[in-house]
Amino acid sequence: VTNRRSFLASSLGIAVLGGSMPLALMRAAGAQPLPALGASIDPRNVLVVIQMNGGNDGLNTVVPYSDDAYHRVRPVIGVAPNTVLKLDDRIGLNPALASLMELYKEGRVALVQGVGYPNPNRSHFEATQIWETASPERPQQSGWLGRYLDRTYPANVKPPSMFEAVALGDTLPTALVAQHVDVPAIGSLGGYAYNTIKDAKTSAGALYDGAGPGESPYLEMIADTARNAYHGGDALRAKIADYTPKAAYPNDAFSQQLKLAAQLIGSDAGTRIVFVSIGSFDTHANQRAVQDRLLKMMGDGLKAFYADLAAHQIDKNVLAMTFSEFGRRVTQNASNGTDHGTAMPLFVIGGAVKGGIYGDHPSLTDLDNGDLKFHTDFRAVYATVLKNWLGHDPADVLAGSFQTLPLV
Amino acid sequence: MRDIKLDTSTDPQVGFRPPGSLDPEPLAPYSGRFTVRHAAHLLRRAGFGGAQADVARAQSLGMPGAVDALLHPEGDDFDFPAYPANDVLYTMNGGMARSGTQLWWLDRMLRTKRPLTEKMTLFWHGHFATSIDKVPAALMAEQINLFRAQGMGNFRTLLASVSVDPAMSVWLDNRYNTKAHPNENYAREVMELFALGLGNYTEDDVKNAARAFTGWTYNNKTQQVVFNPKLHDDDTKTFLGHTGPFGLQDVVAIIVSRPVHQRFIARALLEYFVYSDPEPELIEGLAQTYALSGYDIAKTMGTILRSNVFYSTRAYRAIPKSPIEFAIGLLRYAGTTHVPANLPYALRRMGQEPLAPPSVKGWDGGPAWINTNTLLARFNYVNALAAQAPPKADAPNIQPDAIVAQTGFDAPRVVEAIVSAALQDDVTRDVRETIVGYLTQSDAVGSAPFGRENYQQKIRGAVALTLNLPVNQLN
Repeated sequence: VTNRRSFLASSLGIAVLGGSMPLALMRAAGAQPLPALGASIDPRNVLVVIQMNGGNDGLNTVVPYSDDAYHRVRPVIGVAPNTVLKLDDRIGLNPALASLMELYKEGRVALVQGVGYPNPNRSHFEATQIWETASPERPQQSGWLGRYLDRTYPANVKPPSMFEAVALGDTLPTALVAQHVDVPAIGSLGGYAYNTIKDAKTSAGALYDGAGPGESPYLEMIADTARNAYHGGDALRAKIADYTPKAAYPNDAFSQQLKLAAQLIGSDAGTRIVFVSIGSFDTHANQRAVQDRLLKMMGDGLKAFYADLAAHQIDKNVLAMTFSEFGRRVTQNASNGTDHGTAMPLFVIGGAVKGGIYGDHPSLTDLDNGDLKFHTDFRAVYATVLKNWLGHDPADVLAGSFQTLPLV
Repeated sequence: MRDIKLDTSTDPQVGFRPPGSLDPEPLAPYSGRFTVRHAAHLLRRAGFGGAQADVARAQSLGMPGAVDALLHPEGDDFDFPAYPANDVLYTMNGGMARSGTQLWWLDRMLRTKRPLTEKMTLFWHGHFATSIDKVPAALMAEQINLFRAQGMGNFRTLLASVSVDPAMSVWLDNRYNTKAHPNENYAREVMELFALGLGNYTEDDVKNAARAFTGWTYNNKTQQVVFNPKLHDDDTKTFLGHTGPFGLQDVVAIIVSRPVHQRFIARALLEYFVYSDPEPELIEGLAQTYALSGYDIAKTMGTILRSNVFYSTRAYRAIPKSPIEFAIGLLRYAGTTHVPANLPYALRRMGQEPLAPPSVKGWDGGPAWINTNTLLARFNYVNALAAQAPPKADAPNIQPDAIVAQTGFDAPRVVEAIVSAALQDDVTRDVRETIVGYLTQSDAVGSAPFGRENYQQKIRGAVALTLNLPVNQLN
């Protein structure tokens, strides 16, 4: 793998920095204009967004174990202090996050506490739209990452790779809905294919390759898109063939998606934005069993992912961030679960992240109608990632101005 | 008088009129030839397309007769249930209320004898976009029934009905809109998205309309919207230059009387039924028709469907099909008699899950329907459908035996029969030759040339290739 890339790089007279990432190579070698970058931004940086679908209970993710108020509101489902993975003398991680704790100890995890927005919405649908469009005030069609892509690649500029941004799932999440950048949604490597009845495949390809544009203003665009749709699956499989995962990923669907993400990032696919989902965290009843299993899955998957990336020497160029549409109510309900709430913590992970704790744990006694008060707007985290990681002006993507966090 | 050259050649690429060069009298009744292609165009736009026989029937009626048959359908429709039948709901697994309600409506689109009514229902669903992601399925069904009952009637009545529709009341929170705690959500969308358009009202207009809409509460038990005078603000409001103690009906009446509203509806109808980016003088002309009709949607639609501009080359196959138009059109063309259970899921992958628009703005439509994910979903849906042979329940009625009985094993004639039935010959010579090549040649996969042994399979393959052509993605 490395040899071929190094050869390519040297033949083009390009120094390959810190490993064998083909991204810089592709971008430097291509004729496409580069997005405006800050001086210190590495153009090979990759963002992986992890959606914790269903509303993750923050209080049992990052546990204020020394706070009596926590144990009063969580008599059954509370995490016992002696099992908590202590971050300091007040808070600790749910023991199901042992793998994430390992990454934390290596300084690769930033914990951002008390994240939310004004007038929080408790509907899964609406709150998810709010997070993914970064627009709490008004409905928006495009996602925050979709707008980032649209601004980076205007209508007449194609991204260097068809797989510049990829959603791992059957349908495109709102976060990646763009006006003119086409983002593939890939449910599985095998499923992303033009499936045809027996022997018609070659002819289908000829129809898209040869179809001349007609008179409709859209016919050429449709034929062009049809070509990409027809060839996309085979192109993807060919591009990632030379990336061999160097870590043992667990067998669950989430970890397998992260494995595919590593292949996309580390191969000629040249992917820079990945969206992946895990869930459902909608734990209205018997929360501990469900949430602990999912948290463990997430932590174990991320540990394998970063081990794989590190073995390929690209871990410092990959930043993962979690989000969930809302946290949950402070007080447990009668079914040993929790109902829809407000503020929550999120994690930003990666070899280049300044690990640590950002912001205080929200108070369990100074509440808003029984819900936690947020202190960090989620768009401040987006602004941080856009500006400090992707080198993009946040004002170009987000309405309003948000203070960035020093986590990367 | 007009430059209509649709029927002069099998090549559709003639006489295309670029945007902005409007013919004289665009809304006057079309009096040119009404060919199979005109009839198919009418059925696609004013319905969901049809089988070859449906197109032939429409063509035999002539343009005025075919339009009248759509506007004033005679005879009873099939006996559809008013709500999803229990046997539809309960044969489904998880999310059965959701998919059951979706299938209930899709079935109606597929089998109805009143396709324009159902098409208008779909139009209003996108216009007053409400989602089952927030609203209970039963209320969604009731809202669809409202669009079906009133969608061809008077817009003023429709807007007033939508304003007290339970699904809308839940969707945009007007149920929480009271004198003490006004909630502007619904009032704002009425102005921005439903009736006026951005820039045609002020923030004060939103506030005052919201006050006029107060007091319409939603009763969870009865699932009804009920007016509670105690929660209504009956003080004086100033709205779009009028002042008075306005209520809901007053606000609706003021809105529809505005020329800017009339242009707003005219543009929405033209974009959906004729072509994107309609000329200002065309919008103005239709807005006048709409206003003179007293906001009558059926009359306005009649003007559109009979007009010169509707049959112009600029309108012909000019709009990307929505996924629902594509899929229902496919099933109608193929003579399928029931909706496959996986269709709601397939439509989701194609980018238009019915009853689940992405936001109150509805689906963007037009070119936004087309991306690699949605096209791949369309292609694979066609491929899977065409591969189904009888006696499978979902099998399309492709009838390879009937085709070869007519054409023999003459590949070019077989292809003519297929592209004529499916696309009214709207394909280039190159495309025909490629499909003929598929039928006649062995390729690397090792398939045999066209003949007695494989014509069933080959004809299904040729139909799939035809239906997956870029031109079939256009309405």
